[in-house]
Amino acid sequence: MAEVTLKNIRKNYDPAVNKDILRNINLSISEGEFVVFVGPSGCGKSTLLRMIAGLEDITSGELTIGGRYMNDVPPAVRNVGMVFQSYALYPHLTVYENMAFGLKLKKMNKKNIHQRVMHAADILGLELLLDRKPKALSGGQRQRVAIGRCVVQQPKVFLFDEPLSNLDAALRVKMRIEITKWHKKLQTTIIYVTHDQVEAMTLADKIAVLSPLKADAESNLEQFGSPLDLYHNPDNKFVAGFIGSPKMNFLKVELAKVGEQECVVRLSSGEAVRAQVDARRGTVGDEVELGIRPEHLVPLDPPYAHSKVSGVVQVAEHLGAESFVYMDVGGHDFTVKASSDIDVATGETFSVGIPAEACYLFDAKGYAFPRTAKYIRT
Amino acid sequence: MAMVQPKSVKYRVWTTHLFMWGFLALIMFPVMMVIAISFRTGNFAVGEIIPSHPTLDHWKLALGLSITNPDGSITPPPFPVLLWLWNSIKIAGITALMIVTLSTTSAYAFARLRFRGKDPILQGMLIFQMFPAVLALVAIYALFNKIGDYIPWLGLNTHGGLILAYMGGIALHVWTIKGYFQTIDPSLEEAASIDGATPWQAFRLILLPLSVPILAVVFILAFISTITEVPVASILLQDVHSLTLAVGAQQYLYPQNYLWGDFAAAAVLSGLPITVVFLLAQHWLVGGLTAGGVKG
Repeated sequence: MAEVTLKNIRKNYDPAVNKDILRNINLSISEGEFVVFVGPSGCGKSTLLRMIAGLEDITSGELTIGGRYMNDVPPAVRNVGMVFQSYALYPHLTVYENMAFGLKLKKMNKKNIHQRVMHAADILGLELLLDRKPKALSGGQRQRVAIGRCVVQQPKVFLFDEPLSNLDAALRVKMRIEITKWHKKLQTTIIYVTHDQVEAMTLADKIAVLSPLKADAESNLEQFGSPLDLYHNPDNKFVAGFIGSPKMNFLKVELAKVGEQECVVRLSSGEAVRAQVDARRGTVGDEVELGIRPEHLVPLDPPYAHSKVSGVVQVAEHLGAESFVYMDVGGHDFTVKASSDIDVATGETFSVGIPAEACYLFDAKGYAFPRTAKYIRT
Repeated sequence: MAMVQPKSVKYRVWTTHLFMWGFLALIMFPVMMVIAISFRTGNFAVGEIIPSHPTLDHWKLALGLSITNPDGSITPPPFPVLLWLWNSIKIAGITALMIVTLSTTSAYAFARLRFRGKDPILQGMLIFQMFPAVLALVAIYALFNKIGDYIPWLGLNTHGGLILAYMGGIALHVWTIKGYFQTIDPSLEEAASIDGATPWQAFRLILLPLSVPILAVVFILAFISTITEVPVASILLQDVHSLTLAVGAQQYLYPQNYLWGDFAAAAVLSGLPITVVFLLAQHWLVGGLTAGGVKG
């Protein structure tokens, strides 16, 4: 077990082109923490993980694992374990041999190898599969063997590269819960890469949100924090839009009044909306963006003291437990999560209330104004 | 296969079979003829397919036994055919082994490592290989003549020299093996390196065991092409005792006397090692070795 720190990490595959993949990544991961790197495809999250593993070199910056400078240390010596997206099991070896492979290379004696493999097999429920070759295993079983191969090495840090993306939906949910359990049992530092924000929210102690690097951007690490922190206090519009499902709604608005606890913005329709946001950084008349999550919108009847927003219904999806109403508000897509008994038809005008305490506000550059609502828990 | 078939399929199956049998006969006929000639009395190219007076004389000579003629005179075997056969097997076996070793390691470099000039080298190898070795015969002769001055066992008229000459022809094998390596997910070797393997261990313990089928194919191809090669062997080897069977068998045929019967016996003998190697290698030609390693 060990802490991992990344300082000003930069990655550039081809120095001649000078196109960075990652820039200014600063992370400090404590011992035993479960950290998830999340971001859309192409944001460099897998590359970052491979750099920690030692499978990619680090263009500049500093990586330490357990306090030791690791930039130039080969993967074998870093004492990390990695589960690959493709599992990467050795096809010609049995499950037992797959797990024992690394220990044999370390010249450990047979008795100890056997002990460790059996222990891992016990944790992962692989006892009955030890003599099989990978081709005789199901997807979930292969997944567990891949994890077992890491566990037996007793690495300081576990690295997972989108390990669940090849499994079907039901198995994914099951494996997600299993992984959480193993983490509780093993208490090891885990770094986990995924593009699925639900996986990130459910597994992580802390999430690092990465975005595809823009040419002039300072860094493509958007935010590093606990799942609820990211949900309630996103640093910027990218994080706000990425975390939460369905996605947060954004409306272009004008700042009409600022205050310490609350501000007022004006929609393009002229409607004024109260928001519990400290927007004193901006000035009245600024073009800003209002963010509101689909699940925070409330029905208007019985009359409520909320500000409201109206739009034309495009599609209504009824999932049983809940319904999603997709509407068009002044040319913007707008999603409402409503109760299952909602009765709306396409083409109808539909209005919902915006609770002031559920509002997010972003300046023209996409940076968030601090929220002041009392209920926010992080 | 319970697929529904149209009515005409029976007729088409018969036609196909007929065609295949005809084709097979076409291929087998020359082989049968050579075997027939080797058992026929006298040294004639034409004659009956099933000899009316079969004789083992040609085979005796080929196997190094003298024959006693009806008039009491003794004909000693004219050439050391068995020695030639041994030479052939030795040269082809060593060459094939070294070709497999050399082309596997260079294919690994081309498939997995990043280095400058990789593509030009790969393509260059292929293009140069397209010129037949015959074009370079003079150069090869001169080269080995010179090498022999410094390293006698690699010079003219040595098996070492011939093997060295054959090792120049690995470009196609490098391409074949490289293509196979590239179908193996590199994350297997990455996993091995995280497990603590050095690049050499990852290559030997993971990549090589998965590549056995293609290595067997390359071994067979290299073995066959070496054992049947004539032009280069015929100029590098001159001593009767160092000839390979492919070159030596031609000694039976000279304008004054075509010893077709003896030649046929030697020819049949030369097919033997290829058959044996093929049967042995077949054991390794198994598919599906990499199944199940990656993806679900």
